[in-house]
Amino acid sequence: MIRFLLRRLAFALLLVIAVSSSALLLTRLAPGDLTTELGPRARAEDIARARERFDLNRSPVGQLGGWALRAARFDFGDSFLYDRPVSGLIRRAAGNTAVLAITALAVATFVGIPLGIITGSRRGGMAALIRGVSLLCLSIPPLLTSLLLVFLASRTGWLPAGGMTSVEAVDAGWSAWLLDVMRHLPLPALALALPLAATFERLQAQAMTETIHQPFVTAALARGVTWRQLLIDHAWRASLRSMCAVYGLAIGALLSGSFVVEYVTAWPGLGRLMYEALRARDVYLVAGCAAMGGVFLAIGSVVADLLLFAADPRVREATAE
Amino acid sequence: MRAAGGVLLVLMVFVAVAAPWLAPNPPDQQFDTYLYAPPTPFHWTSFSSLRLINRLERRFEVREQAVPVRWFGAGHFVSSADANAPLLLLGADSYGRDIFARLVYGGRASLGISVLATLITMIVGAAIGGIAGYAGGAVDEVLSRFSDFVLVLPSIYVVLALRAVMPLVLPPAQVFALLVGIFALVSWPVVARGVRGIIASEREREYVTAGLAAGAGPMRLLAVHLMPAARGYLLTQATLLLPAFILAEATLSYVGLGFPTSVPTWGTMLSDASNVALVGEAPWMLAPAAAIFLVVLAVNLVVQGRGRSPIQFDVDGRRS
Amino acid sequence: MKARLLGIVVTAAILAGGYWVWTSPDGAGGLGRQNAEREGGPQHRGGQLVTSGRAGPRTFNRFVGQDQLSSVLSMLTMGHLLRVNLSTFEVEPWLAEKWDASADNLTYTFHLRPGLMWSDGVPFTADDVVFSLKAIFDAKTGSYLQDVLSVDGKPITADAPDASTVVIHFPAPSGPGLRLLDSLWVMPKHKLESALAAGTFAKAWGTDTSPSDLAGMGPFVIREYVPNQRIVLDRNPHYWRKADDGTQLPYLDRIVYEVIPDQDAELLRLQSGDVDLTQSELRPDDYVPAKRAEDQGKLKLAEVGLSPKADAFWFNLKPEAWKSDPRFAFVRKREFRQAISYAVDREKYAENVYLGAAVPIWGPVTPGNTLWFWPDVPRYFHDVNKAKEVLKSIGLEDRNGNGVVEDAQGREARFTVLTQRGVGWYERGLAELRTQLAPVGIAIEAAPLENAALIQRMLGSDYEAMYQRFGTTDLDPASELDMWLSSGDAHFWHMGDAHPEPWETEIDALMKSNMTTPDQAKRKEIFKQVQRIHAENLPVLYFVAPRMYYAYNVRVQGVKPSVLRPVALWNADMLSVR
Repeated sequence: MIRFLLRRLAFALLLVIAVSSSALLLTRLAPGDLTTELGPRARAEDIARARERFDLNRSPVGQLGGWALRAARFDFGDSFLYDRPVSGLIRRAAGNTAVLAITALAVATFVGIPLGIITGSRRGGMAALIRGVSLLCLSIPPLLTSLLLVFLASRTGWLPAGGMTSVEAVDAGWSAWLLDVMRHLPLPALALALPLAATFERLQAQAMTETIHQPFVTAALARGVTWRQLLIDHAWRASLRSMCAVYGLAIGALLSGSFVVEYVTAWPGLGRLMYEALRARDVYLVAGCAAMGGVFLAIGSVVADLLLFAADPRVREATAE
Repeated sequence: MRAAGGVLLVLMVFVAVAAPWLAPNPPDQQFDTYLYAPPTPFHWTSFSSLRLINRLERRFEVREQAVPVRWFGAGHFVSSADANAPLLLLGADSYGRDIFARLVYGGRASLGISVLATLITMIVGAAIGGIAGYAGGAVDEVLSRFSDFVLVLPSIYVVLALRAVMPLVLPPAQVFALLVGIFALVSWPVVARGVRGIIASEREREYVTAGLAAGAGPMRLLAVHLMPAARGYLLTQATLLLPAFILAEATLSYVGLGFPTSVPTWGTMLSDASNVALVGEAPWMLAPAAAIFLVVLAVNLVVQGRGRSPIQFDVDGRRS
Repeated sequence: MKARLLGIVVTAAILAGGYWVWTSPDGAGGLGRQNAEREGGPQHRGGQLVTSGRAGPRTFNRFVGQDQLSSVLSMLTMGHLLRVNLSTFEVEPWLAEKWDASADNLTYTFHLRPGLMWSDGVPFTADDVVFSLKAIFDAKTGSYLQDVLSVDGKPITADAPDASTVVIHFPAPSGPGLRLLDSLWVMPKHKLESALAAGTFAKAWGTDTSPSDLAGMGPFVIREYVPNQRIVLDRNPHYWRKADDGTQLPYLDRIVYEVIPDQDAELLRLQSGDVDLTQSELRPDDYVPAKRAEDQGKLKLAEVGLSPKADAFWFNLKPEAWKSDPRFAFVRKREFRQAISYAVDREKYAENVYLGAAVPIWGPVTPGNTLWFWPDVPRYFHDVNKAKEVLKSIGLEDRNGNGVVEDAQGREARFTVLTQRGVGWYERGLAELRTQLAPVGIAIEAAPLENAALIQRMLGSDYEAMYQRFGTTDLDPASELDMWLSSGDAHFWHMGDAHPEPWETEIDALMKSNMTTPDQAKRKEIFKQVQRIHAENLPVLYFVAPRMYYAYNVRVQGVKPSVLRPVALWNADMLSVR
């Protein structure tokens, strides 16, 4: 077990290095550089100074080397856009996204998976309706979903139409701040959770349907196990194996932040930061964000494997060999 | 249900193929006086054309005199008899182009790209995931880490880099191939991960040991015996990828790797509709979302309509 | 059975709720601040204004930060000796209550108002002004304001004979003259003296500076900055200005600047009352929702005037960029561009691209620039036949009947035009241009690019033609010297012009003269000549100038929208809310 985790840690590190290096190189190779942020009327001296400060006169590989050496000492460079060290920016943004991601994941899990179990094990109007709604959620682009939710929020005034905190919270204390964030969470969380719940529902339904036809289910029923017991204790667990892989992916993707949702709902998260860094060709910020994304994916990967391990005894046995 | 799905799919394919005949107007023709026009009221044998009152305020007036509708004439399923008064079944967009025409033409690019990309993604993902799941050990590790790498690399970086090296204006056929390639390249790990999970646990089953004992080679075992276990997952994943690709095409268009604006696609039509404040008054602009929904529904019905239908039990455990 | 019933009830409830929300008038709950009151009425102190923008500031250091938000923040938190009123475009006294000019107009003696205090209570003196100029021209600071506050390459200098008098020396006669001092924002000596001495001025007052370390002479002070979320500004208790009736300004207690990256979401929040006013004018497609909101009594929609800047269409006129491309032989001829100007039907252009809310123009200066516009600039009225004739006169005609003209060697007039991706009216403009140039035989293909890529190509002269609009911060052509001069950094149609044509040399001389002539009437005459030469040679083509519309919440009083940005906040100390 320990060996397993250590090996995964080693690979995760490799992954993070590979991804952030690629991101940095790709940003250098893309047309334009961060000096375009100074605008088309920028002075030559300002451009030269910016290029010097951010090592743009070095070759891409040279810059990568320099960055890697500093990164080993946990110095991830500065951001041009914000004129601050990259690590502080990413820490804050990642934290905000993590809050959103965990909420969205929870909602998607507690809504999508039970609904999937239902649609996978029954026929009838209810199942068809749920299926229809799922498919609808999958057909609408996240841009429109977010905008529609902002539209809804601004029309009804039930929820704040964007942002992470309100102005009033400026003067308030800790608990009021927490409450304030919780009021702002539903909008972006819902925008993220709807398509995810739909995905979970579809996959769970399919996995459920297959499992139900297995001989052990009929055998259990013959033994006298009730339908409800059967679903939860026996069938569901067996259907988990493909879900786990997807779940791990979902964790990784959510934690990296969905740019569209964060952009439209003005949530100050990692996805938005990454997109704006890329748009502005802010090299070090891009590398930092990619590294963070790599870390999260690695976490998600490990979680997925652990879940699979816990849920499926066959895999447990196989790994023990 | 499966039959219904099949019929719907065939219908959609027909619409895409027969687009030039079905559309009353060409998809890239801009009607100067019809920017943001609402649908022209349709009365089967005739329709009422619109007159522009104020462009900025998007006010139109329905003309009294009805224009005759021509069925099956002039190479179109239905069209306006008067060349100066176009039939706008779903209104016009911000350039004054017929939304209905763009919708049916859009099916070609959107469906074509997403179907092809889905197929390729399935094949590549299943192959790599199957090999990783079956082989286990170092092979599994390497393949899994490689797929992780491809997954976490934000595709948008790759796209931007590609944009730099490609010539500025690409012929539509090249754009088509490029998009299919990018989608498949970026999405196969998603499929591979799931398939790997299934194959890995399936590998421990008795019939595999039996098969090995009987002398079956690994390729045969993988392809003939183990893969069917992943069939359900693959089919479901296909229904998830299809709409995702249709929508992703719009994002790529935004970054610059897409069709020119004269070539309609459902994704870009939805991006144009992103001024949500207006959608309340112009709900026809969301027609592409309905189209995407129908496609996804059709595929879903076909994939899961009949076949392994769930056995219904009531509370006491009696089969019904 | 029960589950099914529950499902039906839930579905029905959701559908009914959705229908209700869809059809309810805006702001049916919570935040709707519908106001039946008419506009006008007395302004009261108190209340909070919420404004929004695309991004947060990169720095609080005005001498280093060039982005648009830095400029807005300066107006809110800093002061200057005099200011240019963005409604009348006249110079008005600000921190200085009056000034005397010397006989040669090179020396101005400013008398500061009595009792001025920084926001932290420290008295404001002439030393602060001298210090600010010193900081701007310090080599280590490398401030972009050095170019603005110089005449003929030599810096403006100042000294302080006593605490309430500042003497400003212009090194040479200056055309814009005192207007230049609008950009001389004054920074506190007592806070930044040590940074300047240590050579770290450029790094001072970054966004991570604690608000208590900042001080300014503006109506507001920064209370809090949450990166990528919002800036909160509170009233400056020591602000010097009073309203006509003696009320201590600013009226507002607080201004909140929300960072909303998506413009569509921003519009939704403006409509719902979440946001009171924005930084930019409405896009033409947003007119309708804003009008609806006005009809419902939530927003006020104002027509501000014509935009002082218009979309520009130009060909790359740098010979080195075309290398041996034979098309350059006819692109470089002014008749080619003149033909295009004849070919375009500007009225139709206004209708299709800006939905009718635009007027035809033929030069870079629009009627929105009330001070410098010249209506008699040479114009090329729409005449397709004339356009064809002109093309024929330089050897371009359609010899092979394929609809595109070519020269005697068969090289077609077919070009790729770059523009910025995602801007609706640029893409519509190019589509319209393509349609209008087709009958004349010129074929253009649009290639929208992402902004960074576009700017890189422009600066590197790596393109055939481009379609873009450049903003402006001031109506005076002196502020765009870098564009007019052939040696300028922003001479965008011909970057790094090593061998200017005779007409370009003429413009260079005229603009230099415009910069150094104090007589405003003479300056106008000189600039008319510049406009004439530009219109005759057409390095850049302009078609229409759009009307500017601005929407803000009805509860805000005192808004005087300007054609220059920031549209409403330039007048922040006189804004109030009901």
